[in-house]
Amino acid sequence: LRRQRVEVSVELRKAKKDEQILKRRNISIHVKEEKPSLGRDRAEEVIVQLSLEQILKAVNGEDTQLQLLATQATRKLLSRHKDPPINQIIELGIIPRMVEFLGRADNVPLQFEAAWALTNIASGTSEHTRAVVEGGAIPAFISLLSSPHLHISEQSVWALGNIAGDGPLYRDALISRDVIPPLLALVSPATPVGFLRNIAWTLSNLCRNKNPCPPLHAVQKILPVLIILLKHEDKDIVSDSCWAVSYLTDGSNDRIQIVVETGILGRLVELMDSPDLNVMTPALRAVGNVVTGTDQQTQEAIDAGLLAVLPRLLKHLKPVIQKEAAWTLSNVAAGPPQQIQQIITCGLLPPLVELLDKGDFKAQKEAVWVVANFTTGGTVDQVVELVRSGVLKPLLNLLLAKDSKTILIILDTISNLFLAAEKLGETEKLCLLVEELDGLEKIEDLQNHENDMVYRAALNIIEKYFSGEENTDLEPQTGQDGLYDFSVEKQDFNF
Amino acid sequence: MELSDANLQTLTEYLKKTLDPDPAIRRPAEKFLESVEGSQNYPLLLLTLLEKSQENVIKVCASVTFKNYIKRNWRIVEDEPNKICESDRIAIKANIVPLMLSSPEQIQKQLSDAISIIGREDFPQKWPDLLTEMVNRFQSGDFHVINGVLRTAHSLFKRYRHEFKSNELWTEIKLVLDAFALPLTNLFKATIELCSTHANDASALKVLFSSLILIAKLFYSLNFQDLPEFFEDNMETWMTNFHSLLTLDNKLLQTDDEEEAGLLELLKSQICDNAALYAQKYDEEFQPYLPRFVTAIWNLLVTTGQEVKYDLLVSNAIQFLASVCERPHYKHLFEDQNTLTSICEKVIVPNMEFRAADEEAFEDNSEEYIRRDLEGSDIDTRRRAACDLVRGLCKFFEGPVTGIFSGYVNSMLQEYAKNPSVNWKHKDAAIYLVTSLASKAQTQKHGITQANELVNLTEFFVNHIQPDLKSATVNEFPVLKADGIKYIMIFRNQVPKEQLLVSIPLLISHLQAESIVVHTYAAHALERLFTMRGTNNATLITAAEMAPFVEVLLTNLFKALTLPGSSENEYIMKAIMRSFSLLQESIIPYIPSVITQLTQKLLAVSKNPSKPHFNHYMFESICLSIRITCKANPEAVGSFEEALFLVFTEILQNDVQEFIPYVFQVMSLLLEMHKNEIPSSYMALFPHLLQPVLWERTGNIPPLVRLLQAYLERGASTIASAAADKIPGLLGVFQKLIASKANDHQGFYLLNSIIEHMPPESVDQYRKQIFILLFQRLQNSKTTKFIKSFLVFINLYCIRYGALALQEIFDSIQPKMFGMVLEKIIIPEIQKVSGQVEKKICAVGITKILTECPPMMDTEYTKLWIPLLQALIGLFELPEDDTIPDEEHFIDIEDTPGYQTAFSQLAFAGKKEHDPVGQMVNNPRIHLAQSLHKLSTACPGRVLSMLSTSLNAEALQYLQGYLQAASVSLL
Repeated sequence: LRRQRVEVSVELRKAKKDEQILKRRNISIHVKEEKPSLGRDRAEEVIVQLSLEQILKAVNGEDTQLQLLATQATRKLLSRHKDPPINQIIELGIIPRMVEFLGRADNVPLQFEAAWALTNIASGTSEHTRAVVEGGAIPAFISLLSSPHLHISEQSVWALGNIAGDGPLYRDALISRDVIPPLLALVSPATPVGFLRNIAWTLSNLCRNKNPCPPLHAVQKILPVLIILLKHEDKDIVSDSCWAVSYLTDGSNDRIQIVVETGILGRLVELMDSPDLNVMTPALRAVGNVVTGTDQQTQEAIDAGLLAVLPRLLKHLKPVIQKEAAWTLSNVAAGPPQQIQQIITCGLLPPLVELLDKGDFKAQKEAVWVVANFTTGGTVDQVVELVRSGVLKPLLNLLLAKDSKTILIILDTISNLFLAAEKLGETEKLCLLVEELDGLEKIEDLQNHENDMVYRAALNIIEKYFSGEENTDLEPQTGQDGLYDFSVEKQDFNF
Repeated sequence: MELSDANLQTLTEYLKKTLDPDPAIRRPAEKFLESVEGSQNYPLLLLTLLEKSQENVIKVCASVTFKNYIKRNWRIVEDEPNKICESDRIAIKANIVPLMLSSPEQIQKQLSDAISIIGREDFPQKWPDLLTEMVNRFQSGDFHVINGVLRTAHSLFKRYRHEFKSNELWTEIKLVLDAFALPLTNLFKATIELCSTHANDASALKVLFSSLILIAKLFYSLNFQDLPEFFEDNMETWMTNFHSLLTLDNKLLQTDDEEEAGLLELLKSQICDNAALYAQKYDEEFQPYLPRFVTAIWNLLVTTGQEVKYDLLVSNAIQFLASVCERPHYKHLFEDQNTLTSICEKVIVPNMEFRAADEEAFEDNSEEYIRRDLEGSDIDTRRRAACDLVRGLCKFFEGPVTGIFSGYVNSMLQEYAKNPSVNWKHKDAAIYLVTSLASKAQTQKHGITQANELVNLTEFFVNHIQPDLKSATVNEFPVLKADGIKYIMIFRNQVPKEQLLVSIPLLISHLQAESIVVHTYAAHALERLFTMRGTNNATLITAAEMAPFVEVLLTNLFKALTLPGSSENEYIMKAIMRSFSLLQESIIPYIPSVITQLTQKLLAVSKNPSKPHFNHYMFESICLSIRITCKANPEAVGSFEEALFLVFTEILQNDVQEFIPYVFQVMSLLLEMHKNEIPSSYMALFPHLLQPVLWERTGNIPPLVRLLQAYLERGASTIASAAADKIPGLLGVFQKLIASKANDHQGFYLLNSIIEHMPPESVDQYRKQIFILLFQRLQNSKTTKFIKSFLVFINLYCIRYGALALQEIFDSIQPKMFGMVLEKIIIPEIQKVSGQVEKKICAVGITKILTECPPMMDTEYTKLWIPLLQALIGLFELPEDDTIPDEEHFIDIEDTPGYQTAFSQLAFAGKKEHDPVGQMVNNPRIHLAQSLHKLSTACPGRVLSMLSTSLNAEALQYLQGYLQAASVSLL
């Protein structure tokens, strides 16, 4: 069976480091570099001294010069490297006022400082983002997308990205306020690379999150632009676009279908092979998601060259890549025999065996799934080929793994192997092989395993293949002479 | 039951009685307690007693009774009565933790178990405050209390080590982590601090270290499923402290006991486990810490003594290093020449030394010593661990490691040479080092299969091994002799043959050594050498090369069985068997004496069979004696019967269960040696062989079937005439076997022999019944194995009784039965039949159905004619299956499946393959062509028209080939 990405909604681990960032604070100072002016520098130094009370007063006052200085001071506080005082700023209650400043087309510096400050507030926790949204920032930022000033529309893109990244609720709030058309309109051959990066990232947040997935009409609008961005030469843009596609494919088969139909699989497979980890990771995830779909969708990924790239990824130095690649392969192995055949033809068995033997534990677990699926759906010949490739030894070794589920899957796989051996009349041979590789000893040991299902699976194999069972209804009675009575009652037969 | 003094008193009385050794008093008391345990307040009465009783025994007894009561009754099973009322449940949960914590240790353990049983059902939902209650006690500062909490936590959380990942489980773990991880971490830090403030207080340290062990165990459980965020964030704290605990030593914690591991060792062992868990599962996150642990663990190894109490710790620690040094990304930790040298010098060499404990085992417990040294049941010995480390290091550093060790080997050999009688242990270590360095892969069957090319094994053999074995005194330096013999044994595939030939007489003379280990190794080495293969799969060492040694070999082998401690030595007996098998007819002159000695041995061990392997090889040797002798002189069978039957009768009469299957096999072999009618001595036994009690033991089934087959082959007509009343019993055996999925093929063996050999009229009245029985099994529980046997049987029947008879009997059971079997079983399944003879039987049988069964031509069965022919051609054109080789010498005993402990097939009692159609049909394809030709002459035109309209092109082409080969054509 094909396995979707998430099995357990509870996580014990830290949030994944390899995931794309959800919200970002603007702590760069590139604006200053753009417009180096003495007055400005001096002004900042002075303003840094402003207390929160002074900020409150100035922001709420009518003096536009002071408003600008106070907003700048706020932005500065929120942009400092360590512990930005987001909570205090929110508690000042100045957000609605800042939102108001966003509309001050007459005062571009004020618009910009407010946009920046709000961006950084929205980059915090959900609570923080909510404060910005409830201050009415969504429509204001959306209209600023069309600002004639590039740095203001760029800052708005960023702010909207933070809001979208909060979760499906705000994401859909943005979509229903028609954020997409003005956002996409910003993409043109003339758009600077830095700006495009922000757009790609914000688009990815608009594609992100499930329960529910983003609305179909939105996806359909975004996809053509993503396809263009995927072909960009900047790797950050490509990376975020890949992430976006990976979110779009992380769902039901009809969602996958929309992406497959764009014909982008070839490019994604190409990107899986990128030397840049930030590109390779989301590309692999995207294609990995595609092969959780139907046989046909999986076939399209195979036709796009997926299996030619996987061997390298299975051997990748990064454990997460090994793991993700093995997971992807496990879903191909869950397909019909002709897809399994392609796994063999493309030379994936040797790297699979190697991974099973020496890979990182997370990857070994996925590799076990590959073997399990392979033996469930493969033909007898294919299973023979698998055994010939040396899979049995590392597989049996993993019966010592510190993970009950993995052990259980291996036991199920062993049962599958026995089913194939029965068809070939080679049960005995497999019994010997399992014994030779110290497997029998390990399976016998597992009959003492604390986990009930593991214990029963082990017992089942032992009973089925390493001992016998009876058909009591045919058993003869003992007759008067003390010997067995030969007799049977006739029934109707129908084979 | 009220919570009254009277009830407490009554309960006390009954509890006391449950401790009474007299069952007449004890049993009724137990019954009474069981009868009242459903009453309200019963558990509370027990809790009161275990807390307040005046007598300690009653306290303990109440606590055990309470725990068992919880174990039996706490879980609420659907549709079964809930035996504990809700108010009691609440009261128990409210009181049990403080009660457990205030109880003395003996009672605390019982209550702690009870808590974990309750926790398994109720925690966390129905016992939400349990965790807080426990965590609060951490602050008590009372380590008696704290240890109670930790122990309980351990029993609650240890299931995280084996349960499957699930939302429910992970939600619980998350909850536990949220409440428990931080307090546990703080407790860990505080405990460590207390350890340094109480560094001089032995009794405080003991309590504190018990806590640390429990904390380390809890760490293992909480980190098992996945790496929790909290522990990843706090890895620094945990790992730094674990690391320093590994390096900690305190005189006050050292124990005098040499055997039993102390608290310090237990803690360090658990820390090694924790590090191994992280290294296996969370390698990525653990990487920064790993080098420190590697260093600490090898320092630990360097400073740990040779006492047995450290063995587990040391072998765990070495295994940790061995598993790490094999991984490519940790290679750099080991590659420095100084590091390698110090690991070799300080970790590997010292742990390879022959210790006093080894010497003791060598002398006084040789069986255990041999098992560890020879059979690899040494998994947690130091030597094995050191050996694994050598192998691990050699993966990347074979050259440098070999170089370093060569230096050591040389200096140890020099030490030995200076004064052998004092320094012999140095040579032992040198040999062990060479062995572990040189061996890269090993199997029981072939010894070393892959060796380190940098070690000159032959040179070492000639210079350092052979001289020891050549010394005239076989009893000198027994350990070195054993080492030398083992060296020959495991490097037999690396040392050239001429050197092996030189060694053979040396090994033979060491069969006389007094040391059990030495003469056992000598026997084992000979046995292994005799199984080696040269070119053409012939034995490497030939009978001709052994000719000069036959007498001394046999003499010494049988003499070795008389040495103290070796009267049932399986290695010697196996060597006897293997020698017979190699030497073949050259043993004939010695057979009279050999068979006498073997029968005496058999008689002696049948009193109390205790060594299954010894017994097995003994029977193999008997079989070989019979085969080899009777092959040259068939008449000799009588003298074997004379020598053996007396013992056999005794074995059968005394029902020596272990030996009966062997006796049947030897009897089969003997009976098959007879060329004429069955001797009357065998017939007298026949009715006894049908006794159900024999057939109830699975181990008897294959040899008994084999024996009955021999009876049928040699004496079917005698049975029909003199024992006709036993035929139902015989068929009853068949029925018994056919009822079992495991044994049905045995039932078919028997049935095939009955059909083939019994006169038809003697089984006439049973035939229909036989088929009904088979159909019933086919209908209710068919397996591939059953179908294969069934197909062979019905075709054999067809050959013996004719195709028409087969059709008639099927259709007399149920109309159109024949067609159904053809369509549903024969045609689709015939390709599954394997084995040359089996396929041939099926081919001939089907040919008969096609060509000698009129209903196939003129009833509705005609539509099956072409499909059946097609299936037959398919059967012909399948690739041929494995044939069974005739040269039984090469059947290795190890090849027989070892898990069927109940039945041990004797390789040398093996039955020759029997081909019932051999005389009748030589080439079944030609036979088909000829039969079709005959049919087409009888009804011209019909066959050809059927073929041309419906047979597929490929099959038709094959068929034309058969017709051509037979030089016939169809009309």
